[in-house]
Formats: sequence, C-alpha cells, structure tokens
Amino acid sequence: MTKHSETGSFFRSQKFTDWPTVTEALNAKEIGAAFILAPLAMELASKAANIRIVYLGHRDGTAIVVRTDSDIRDFADLRGKIVAIPMRYANQNLLMHKMMKEWGMPYDSIDLRELPPPDHPTALYEGSIDGYIVGEPFAAKAQVDGFGRVLYYSKDIWKDFISCVLVVRQDLIEEQRDLIQELVDGIAKSGKWLDESQAHRMDAAEMAAEHYYFQDPELLKFVLSKPVDRVKYTQLAPLKDDFDEIMELAVEIGVLSGPVAFEDYVDDSFVRPLEDIDWNMNRLPRSDAGDEENDR
Amino acid sequence: MKRQVCIGSLLWLLLITVSHIHLNVGWDQLKQKSRVFFGLDRPELIVGFLPVT
Repeated sequence: MTKHSETGSFFRSQKFTDWPTVTEALNAKEIGAAFILAPLAMELASKAANIRIVYLGHRDGTAIVVRTDSDIRDFADLRGKIVAIPMRYANQNLLMHKMMKEWGMPYDSIDLRELPPPDHPTALYEGSIDGYIVGEPFAAKAQVDGFGRVLYYSKDIWKDFISCVLVVRQDLIEEQRDLIQELVDGIAKSGKWLDESQAHRMDAAEMAAEHYYFQDPELLKFVLSKPVDRVKYTQLAPLKDDFDEIMELAVEIGVLSGPVAFEDYVDDSFVRPLEDIDWNMNRLPRSDAGDEENDR
Repeated sequence: MKRQVCIGSLLWLLLITVSHIHLNVGWDQLKQKSRVFFGLDRPELIVGFLPVT
C-alpha cells in the first residue's frame, strides 16, 4: 500500500498482531479501514452495521500444511488429527468444514484448534499439531524452513478462495467517498501491477518485507512465485455468489448465528473497471514507502 | 430575567458542546478534521492489517 496517493491523500498502514485488536480499533474509530477475515467482517457488519466490505485483499493465498515426514497424503488422513486454524471466524475454518463435508467426514472428525497465524509453523515444528491451515506467508514458512509440505493449496480446493477483505467504517463511506474510492482504486491498480509480471512481484516482495511485513524478503518472494498462482491480486470485486457460499457454510457450522443479506455487509459501489481508473502505474511505491509505519 | 435565561442557555450549550468534544470526539481529532475541512491538511486514512494474506 502506498503511503500517499497522487492526489495528495494520505493512506497510512498500521500493523496489528491479532484480529480482536483490529476490530477494537475500528470500533473506537482509531483506524478507518482494515483488512480482516471475511466471516469476521460479515459477523461484525451484521451485528453493529458500522462497517462494510468494499473490496477484497487478494484471492487464494492459503494452504493446508503438514510435516514433511508425516504419513498424511490426502484429506482423509487428517481424520483424528489436530489441525490449527487462524480463528473461528476465518474462512480457513470454513474451508476445513467444506472439505470434511466433501470427503464424507463428520464435522468433529478433525480437532481444529485456534492459533494465531505466526504460531502455526512453530507448533507444527514442535509437534503440538499435526497440520495447519493459514494464509501466506506462514504456510510457506514451514516449506522454506524444510520441515513442512503443502497438502493442498486453497486454489485447488476452493476456486477463487477469499480470505481477507477490505472493510471501511460506514461513517467514512458516507462522509469521505472520494477518499475511499482512491483507496479502492489504488488496491485495484496495485493488484493489476502485481499480477502483470514476475519482476513486479519480486520488487513488491522486497518492499513489503522491508517496510510492512518485517519478514525475510526471500520468504515473500517464495510466496509470490512458487507457484506463481499461489496468491492472486486481481478479480478483487466482492461478488454476491462468493459471499453467499461463505455465509451459508458459516451459518451451517454455527460461525454465524443466522443468514445475512449480501447488501447488509457489502458496499460494492466503489468497484470500477480497471481501465476506468486513472493512476500512474509506472511510479513504484518503493520510493516513498513506509517510514511512518506504526506497530502495535 | 429573559437575559439571564438566554445567557444560562448559551452557557449550558457551551458546556455540553465542550464536554461532547472532550469525551466523544477528542480535541486532536477536531483539530485534524478542521484543518482538512479548511484545506490546510490533506485527508488521511489509516488502514489496519495483519502481516498475513
């Protein structure tokens, strides 16, 4: 994400370490927008109606990882095993249930344990879990470190998988539409730029590792290249069919207490065709990234 | 008497307004919004994220 746009608006990123703190910051109006888990966003929007999903962060970018030396070869082998998920309100939780359903397994046949994403690789290494499902780069982390292998990429088991979505406070949607439009346009164009060439992805990996993620650039380069369609940054418009599928599954397994209408948690009025967005794609964000970032 | 009621009402209004800004809005927030409104500052949006896709 750029620190400022070409029109002069400031977009400052703020790194968090857990989901509850992000949602608290949104509620307290300390931040105006956030990338959060899709079912969590649906739950928050349906309960408080003070945020809306306006765009996606990416597609795919999740994997089920097991130990390299384990005898787990397909999903059925996970029966009776302990698998870490990022959070109850994560689409990764829903994906595990979807897979159990497809493989004819009862929903309690795998012991799903909530664990913060950064702890997944360590827990697998120590043997306290048999596998984990998480977003990148933590799926790739065990691979790169040599003790984990991917059992399934999300792209192969749930087409155009959605993990994180961009939510914006409702009051900003009403009062500062131009600012939100700039943000959404910027993400759309950045995504197009990322998916345009491998060189762009490598450049982005270095920049994000240094200024935003504070992780090994080689790990992010691995994520963005092996395989190249491991994470996608295009097709980011929130679509009703995708979210209805998530919502129905979430209701079925009790993550959501009841059905929520798409219109009640999504505002897709900021989605524009990429060719309609006027933005200088040749200006690399690296030149002015990140020196005012805050962690918490 | 009429004058006293007017002054009292204005003071009460002022007290409620100041309390609202202090308790619910925040002086920094008001200052920032005013600067953006009068074109002295650029609009700012803070976007939260976790370092995971």
